[in-house]
Amino acid sequence: MPRALWNGSLSFGLVNVPVALHSAVRDLDVHFHQLHAKDGARIEMRRFCSEEDREVDLDEIGSGYDLDGTQVVLTDDELESLSPARTRTIEIASFVDLADIDPLLFDHPYWLVPTGESQGPLRAYRLLVEVMGGTERVALGRFVLRTKEHLVAVRVRDGLLALTTMRFADEVRDTDGIDAGGRKPPKEQLDQAVALVDALTVDWDPSAYEDRYRKRLQAIVRKKQQGQTIKAPAQGEQPSPTTDLMAALRKTLDELGGRGGRGPSEGGAGDADGGQELDRLSRDELYQRAREADVPGRSSMSKDELVGALTRGR
Amino acid sequence: MAARSLWNGTIAFGAVSVPVRLHTAVDSSTVHFHEVHLKDGARIRHRRFCSKEDREVPKEEVVRGYEVRQDEYVVVDKEDVDAAAGERTHIIDVEHFVDAEQIDPVFYDRAYFLGAGKGGGDAFRLLREAMARRGRAAIGRFTFHNREYLAVIRPYEDVLVVHTMRFADELLHGGELEVPEAGRKPDEREVEMAGRLVESLHEDFDPAAHHDEYRDLIMQAIQAKANGSDLPVEQRDEGDRSDDLLAALQASMKGS
Repeated sequence: MPRALWNGSLSFGLVNVPVALHSAVRDLDVHFHQLHAKDGARIEMRRFCSEEDREVDLDEIGSGYDLDGTQVVLTDDELESLSPARTRTIEIASFVDLADIDPLLFDHPYWLVPTGESQGPLRAYRLLVEVMGGTERVALGRFVLRTKEHLVAVRVRDGLLALTTMRFADEVRDTDGIDAGGRKPPKEQLDQAVALVDALTVDWDPSAYEDRYRKRLQAIVRKKQQGQTIKAPAQGEQPSPTTDLMAALRKTLDELGGRGGRGPSEGGAGDADGGQELDRLSRDELYQRAREADVPGRSSMSKDELVGALTRGR
Repeated sequence: MAARSLWNGTIAFGAVSVPVRLHTAVDSSTVHFHEVHLKDGARIRHRRFCSKEDREVPKEEVVRGYEVRQDEYVVVDKEDVDAAAGERTHIIDVEHFVDAEQIDPVFYDRAYFLGAGKGGGDAFRLLREAMARRGRAAIGRFTFHNREYLAVIRPYEDVLVVHTMRFADELLHGGELEVPEAGRKPDEREVEMAGRLVESLHEDFDPAAHHDEYRDLIMQAIQAKANGSDLPVEQRDEGDRSDDLLAALQASMKGS
C-alpha cells in the first residue's frame, strides 16, 4: 500500500478518529523523462538564485507574492503555523444528501483509512461506516491539504470512508456568457430527439471503457523500441451543422431500427398543463419543492426543467 | 458578454451534428506564490542540468524518454506522442446515453461548459432538452490538448457541462487497502446515539454557504507581513481525544 498523502484526524462532534488519506486514483499514465540527447543521461532541475547566480537549497526558499507591485515573502514555517487545526483535522460540520450536490463540485477522490492501535477510535470509524452506510447521507467537512483549503464530502464506499475534495461554489463560473442555443424545440422534434436518446440508452458500465490513448501511447513506445517509425494519422474532417434536424433524427432512428437500447423507462413526454402556477416560483422555491418530492437529478436542473419534473410528478 | 472558448468542435450523435464551444467552468481559489531566495528576495530560476556531466544543458539538447528498464530509455519525439491522440480531433462522438444518476461521482475528473457553436443553436437546444427530459448524460470520446478523453456530457442550468472521465482501472478499490480490524463492533446504543447525532446535524446542502476561509487567512498574512505587523494565528479547539465512545457521543449531542 503506498504511503499516505496526509495523516490527521477526522472529528465528528467530540469523537476524534486518527486517519490516513490515500488517493483513490492510481497513476497509469505513460510518463516521460527529460534526457540529455548526447549521452542519454537524466536531466535534473536545479534551483538558482537569479541575483547571485548560484544553486540554492530548498530550505533557503520562501513563497513570494506580488501584492500590488510589492513582493511579500512568507516562509514555510509562517504558512504552516497560520491555522494548525485546519491542517490537522477534517472537521465534519453537517450531513447532507448526496443527490443535492451537483457532480460539477466534486474534485479528487481519496480513501480515509483508520490508523493507530487504539480500539476506541477504530470503533468510532466503524460506527460512522455503519450509521452512514445505509443512507444517502454525506458528511460535509473541510481541511487544508498542501496550503489549499478544501470542502470535502465523506461517504461510505466498499465498507470504508471515502473522501472527495470539492470545489467551492465561488470557484465555479456562472453560465451567463455561454450561448444556450436557439429556439425552444417544437414538440414533435423534441419527441423524436427523446426517442433517439432512449434508443441509444444503456446501463452505465465503467468497465466497458478503456483508455485508448494510453494503449496507443504504449504501442508507440514499443514500436520505437523496435526501431520503427511512427506515422501520425490524417486529421478528420469537421462535419457541418445539421440544418434539417427532423430529417437527421428520423434517418438515425431508422438506421437504429430494432437495435435500440434499454428503451424508454419513464412515460410521459411534454410539459402537461398545470405548470402555470409553478412558473411563477423562483428556482430556489422550485428546487425546495423538488427536494421534498425527491426528484432525481434536481441539482443540475434549470428552472423550466424543475417545473416540468414537478408537473409530471403530480 | 460572450465568454471566450478554449475549443470549438462538434457533438455527433447519429446523423445529427451539433456545433459547440468549450469554456472554462472552474477557477481555483488557490493563492499562487513564486519561489524566492529568502536571503535577497530574488526570484528562483529552474535550470536543466545533465546528471552525468554535471553541467547546464540548453533546451535544444533535451529529448523525451520512456524508461523501459532501469536506466534504459526509448526516445520519443513530440510527433510520436501526438500520433497517439487519434484522428478525429474536433468531434465528440456520442456512443450512447446513460442515466446520469448511475454515474458515481468518483469517475468525474475535469469539467468544462459547452455552449452552442456557430449555426447550431437549435440543434444544441434540442439535444440539451432531450437529455434533460430523461435525466440522461451522453458518453463519448474526444481529443483535447492532444489527448483523447472519455467524456460525459450532461445538462447544467441552461447549457451543457462536459466532464473528462477517469477509467475504471485507474480507481483504487476499497479492498486493495490495508485496514486494521476493530476488535469489538459498535454496540446498539452507540449506533443509535450516532444515528441521532447524524440526523441532528442534517441540513439542506447550500453550496454558496461555503467559502475558502483559509485563502482569506493567507491573504491577511500577506497584508500583515507587508505592513510589518504580526501574522495572524488562528486558534481552534481541536477537542478531546477520548476512548470512551459513548460518553463522547453523548457529550456531542448535548453540544449540538
